[in-house]
Amino acid sequence: MSEQPHIVVDQLRKVYRVHEREAGAAASVRSLFRRRYREVEAVRGISFRVMPGEIVGFLGPNGAGKTTTLKMLSGLLFPTSGEARVLGFVPWHRNPGYLRQLSYVLGNRSQLVWDIPAMDSFLVNQAVYQIPEKQFRETLDELIALLDLEPLLKKPVRGLSLGERMKCELAASLLHRPSVLFLDEPTLGVDVTMQGRIRQFVAEHNRRHGATVLLTSHYMADVTALCRRVIVINKGQLLYDGDLTTLSDRIAPFKLVTLDLESPEEAAHAEKYGTVVERNGAKVTLRLPRSETAGVVARLLTDLPVTDLTVSDPPIEEVIEQIFHGRTLDAGEGLPHVLA
Amino acid sequence: MYWLDVYRAHLKVAIATMLQYRFAVLIWAVWGFVGPLISLAVWSAATAAQGGQIASASGAQFSRSDFAAYFLVFMIVSHLTMSWEAFEFAWRVRDGQLSPRLLKPIHPIHLDASYNIGYKLITSAMLLPVWGLLFFLLAPTPPRSWQQFLLGIPALALAAVIRYVFQYSLAVIAFWTTRVEAINQLYFTLDAFLAGRIAPIALLPGWLASVAALAPFRSMGAFPVELFLGQVPPDQVLPGFALQVFWLIVALTLLRVLWAAGIRQYSAVGA
Repeated sequence: MSEQPHIVVDQLRKVYRVHEREAGAAASVRSLFRRRYREVEAVRGISFRVMPGEIVGFLGPNGAGKTTTLKMLSGLLFPTSGEARVLGFVPWHRNPGYLRQLSYVLGNRSQLVWDIPAMDSFLVNQAVYQIPEKQFRETLDELIALLDLEPLLKKPVRGLSLGERMKCELAASLLHRPSVLFLDEPTLGVDVTMQGRIRQFVAEHNRRHGATVLLTSHYMADVTALCRRVIVINKGQLLYDGDLTTLSDRIAPFKLVTLDLESPEEAAHAEKYGTVVERNGAKVTLRLPRSETAGVVARLLTDLPVTDLTVSDPPIEEVIEQIFHGRTLDAGEGLPHVLA
Repeated sequence: MYWLDVYRAHLKVAIATMLQYRFAVLIWAVWGFVGPLISLAVWSAATAAQGGQIASASGAQFSRSDFAAYFLVFMIVSHLTMSWEAFEFAWRVRDGQLSPRLLKPIHPIHLDASYNIGYKLITSAMLLPVWGLLFFLLAPTPPRSWQQFLLGIPALALAAVIRYVFQYSLAVIAFWTTRVEAINQLYFTLDAFLAGRIAPIALLPGWLASVAALAPFRSMGAFPVELFLGQVPPDQVLPGFALQVFWLIVALTLLRVLWAAGIRQYSAVGA
């Protein structure tokens, strides 16, 4: 176990100072003489480690502090306090040796030159990152094949669709084979088919080149497809860091039981055993507290004419939704405060 | 070799981008004629009213052809040393477009400088015949010294670099306030008088001429123009270059300090 983590984050904190004033002309005159500032603590002392080659999902609602954290880790922002090292470098020292091994794909920001074909931007990156010709061609061919880029390379970037642009954006970011890759909403605004392609691509790239990936996304499908581990933050605080599969055990203390009964009337009887999530003819889905599931299932099988029965965890989307909105899926169960 | 590759790649992109907007680029370039030609028209009229010669405080005489030579050369020097960084940089900071550039392992100034060079290459090629025509029509006084004319070339290169680095330092102020236009306006006003754009520095009132002699603006404007025309007294050539080097060091130091502080300041949410 001599392998060192690629990313080490220790008590990282960022406070923004935001200028505030009321609406209206009088307020704008007042603010000329006395400016009011408010401090916004975007990241409140988070700590985590990421090992080489890991793909970690970085989850949280809007304003949770995800992008601020990624910006600090990529050297775009100075933290208010705390420490971080990525590949052994302090990111905000902006050492060219670090920036050469990093890529940060911002879904809503482009590094491609707007008016000319993406291929020209790729050639600029070849020069800037000092990519040897042979490696450049190999990587480019690989990216062309994986992302189906061939028809896009000669079109000016402004003429590309959002999905096409994102594919070129990813390619531009990966030409120098970064050791650490930050993906901030890489599938934002992209249709479902393209989302799938991008996901497959990230997985394949990680498999081939072993890059460490930190991914934020609003689409749970991105996270479930790519990440075994997730870090959940909300209001700048770390709520959970661990396996995606155990996240639901920790946060959603219940199971879903789906029953197929002989008739719709029988299905109505099932309501006595738990909270009905859905009822459709003779099929009914119940929500049961995790600890009581085994006992209730045994009683259901004895009391009712069950033709089929499945027990499952609630969908991960619902679990994350619950964290994002701080509400519970079941009336009786509260959200654990800090789960980590 | 590395920097040569970087500049070559950036220059190709810059030229390709500008060729997409040929017409706009040409309009901008033609705009560069306006100032010097107005100054020339005003001074030509003044010369005619004074009986064909205007004398400076030091006794130097300027004829209409001298003014034609001065403002035509100034037009070219001005074109080759121009920089517009403060506007673009502030826009990029405000819009968040700076972030992708800060993620690259080289300073963003290199990309911007490539655009500046690319713009000058393209527009100079377009303007060359027009310049030639103006020289033919306005019959300017030829250079008095070809040695000084040759020294004008390195002075022009230095002027371009000094102006560029000063403009970039002003641009970097956008890290603190994204409304740098006011500061930029002040810079351009001072530049108009002290670089010798409105009048040759010899014709400025005594006190203003003394300020202009030492301020950085002459090093970015009138000094190479005067060399091209062979108007610099021989004992003033070396001090002129020394002053250029001094202002270059000042500009580079200023940029370095402002950049280091500004990058810490840069923390726009969502940038």
